[in-house]
Amino acid sequence: MKNETRLKIKISEAATNRYLSNTRFTIQSLADSLDMSAKDIFDLFPNRRSILDYFYESRMILYKDSLSTLEDYHEFSLSEKLNHLFLTLLDSFEEHREFTLVTYKEMVALDRRRNAFRRLFKEELKKIFNDDPQITRSSCIIQNELLWKSILLQFHGLIAFWANDSSRMRENSMALADKWSSFIEEIFYTKIIDKGFDLGKYLWMNSSLSKCMTSDNFNVPSLCGRDQKYQEKKNE
Amino acid sequence: MSDFPSTKFDRGKIFAKTGLKVGTNYAKHYLKSLASGNGDKTALHKQTAEEVFSEFTKLRGTALKIAQSFSIDQGFLPDEFAEVMTKAQYSVPPINRSLVRSIIKKELGNYPEQLFKSFDTQAIAAASIGQVHRATLKDGTEVAVKIQYPGVRDTISSDIALAKTLLKRIVSDPDTIEDYIEEVKQTLIVETDYILEGKSMERFHERFASQTVATPRWIEEYSTERVLTMTYLEGQHLNEFLKSDPSDEEKSRYGQLMWDFFHNQIKAVTDEILEFHADTHPGNFLLTDDGKLGVIDYGCVKTFPEDFFYKYLMLLPTHLNRDEEAILKLYEELGVLKGDPETEPREKQFYDFALNYGFTFALPYLEDSFDFGDSEYRDLIRRYTKNAPITNEPRGNKHFIYSTRVHLGLYHFLMKLGARIETEKSREIVEEVLQSRQSIFAEK
Repeated sequence: MKNETRLKIKISEAATNRYLSNTRFTIQSLADSLDMSAKDIFDLFPNRRSILDYFYESRMILYKDSLSTLEDYHEFSLSEKLNHLFLTLLDSFEEHREFTLVTYKEMVALDRRRNAFRRLFKEELKKIFNDDPQITRSSCIIQNELLWKSILLQFHGLIAFWANDSSRMRENSMALADKWSSFIEEIFYTKIIDKGFDLGKYLWMNSSLSKCMTSDNFNVPSLCGRDQKYQEKKNE
Repeated sequence: MSDFPSTKFDRGKIFAKTGLKVGTNYAKHYLKSLASGNGDKTALHKQTAEEVFSEFTKLRGTALKIAQSFSIDQGFLPDEFAEVMTKAQYSVPPINRSLVRSIIKKELGNYPEQLFKSFDTQAIAAASIGQVHRATLKDGTEVAVKIQYPGVRDTISSDIALAKTLLKRIVSDPDTIEDYIEEVKQTLIVETDYILEGKSMERFHERFASQTVATPRWIEEYSTERVLTMTYLEGQHLNEFLKSDPSDEEKSRYGQLMWDFFHNQIKAVTDEILEFHADTHPGNFLLTDDGKLGVIDYGCVKTFPEDFFYKYLMLLPTHLNRDEEAILKLYEELGVLKGDPETEPREKQFYDFALNYGFTFALPYLEDSFDFGDSEYRDLIRRYTKNAPITNEPRGNKHFIYSTRVHLGLYHFLMKLGARIETEKSREIVEEVLQSRQSIFAEK
């Protein structure tokens, strides 16, 4: 990780603490708490909101950084990879729980702008699914924006669950993350999509609509009046 | 004083076989009444029982623990249910690598790759409520790290509530099972607290670690309620040991270690210690590379009330002597009988069965050595447990649940091993304990 990135993370984490004591804290007060100048901060961030936004973006950066410490990450199953994503983010949010509880909904879930956390989260999902060798071939048809959005939505739900989780060490949230990712893996590893696709293809190939559209049966029956006229002319 | 008779083992077996006929007849009669459904309000309808067991198995990890608690994995259930209950699929799902990592971070404050010199992400053993990983501490100590699946404690409470609902459908008086269920629930909940297990481990280390018994050491600084770190014991579990085709002497030596460990726990009663390792499951023991008995799991440790334990132990000499007057008194005090067997046929059936089963159970103490590999004896025990009156009327003190588990578990272990055991010393221990407590209970 670059030094500049480390510094940006340090600033954003300090900003979360300032925010909790005063939502309209000044950059100067933040700079004072970090023993640096306001100019140094402005060199990295245009305004207060961007610093706070970076806190969420940096959770994804820290998550990606954690992958390099796992020797056997490439052997992880889909469920383990998704679980790692969910749980590393939860661990990271846990360290700034109060700030996350106050701001997650507004700054991530309902943010109408192009949100960096959401973008990185979805990019990571794409990577996890694309790199997984065990996913059934036909499931690629449902690997699209809708899937990434639904998993992101599910993650928002996990955060809402975690926010209200009073179990010891938030173990119920861990169990939920685990069960969610296992469920997703089950969907994508099962042959049901492959088999369903085969069945659909077979039914399509044997339907009258399909027969109409294959070259062998092009003439009977024709759905196109122009083709019929052409055939009549040819017969003459 | 000697409460033990000096009759021969063969004579004993004749008694046992006679008793088995009574038990079989009772079981046949009972099963017939189940199948006929002839309006007997107290009879358990077989179909209902099947439905209940089918529902019960869906409780997975908790079901397995409840089944183990009631020793129904030791041959009490018909084969089809026993197989279902012991299948690995009824354990909780394995904890995946990401979750293991996160649990350790939450519990111990950092990720395993930062805490340990090495940490094997693949579990080396699975348990019904968690799994065990091998690791090396930064100082080079080889350890086993037991990790509990998150939320198990909550699951136990809700599963027990569900199991209670199911069991109430098959017992004649639902209130009678409250005590038993509560006993199992409390034991299971205690089992989820790994701090308590660590402390038990240390107490057993103080009491039993010796030239013949090896116990792991609890590493407190790497342990919490949900993560238990202990020193690693290398050795073979029963199945691995048997696969290595050991000689009869080796089998008997291993069996003797088990037998002596069990009786040394009884011996401690003279020092007012009534704490027992109450989960005599083969997975909890191993034969270490230096020939010791390794005792590796302390999740289920029970302290029995003194009066119960005295009476339980008294069952051994009274059965071997066939002292029916004393047996009858003990059965009444221990809640096995609810009426007079002389006048009530149902009580008579219970009495006859318990009397003869008890005698068969006490047979190993009859002479100075006993061969658990004796196929005739194994068959007797198997048939007795199989024909045990499956009753919709729970009987006996609630502490029987775990005393039976310990004792029956020990017998099954030794029978599987086919060990010949020297029992003279253990008989002396039982006599010594009974003598030491006799004066106290005679006064009461």
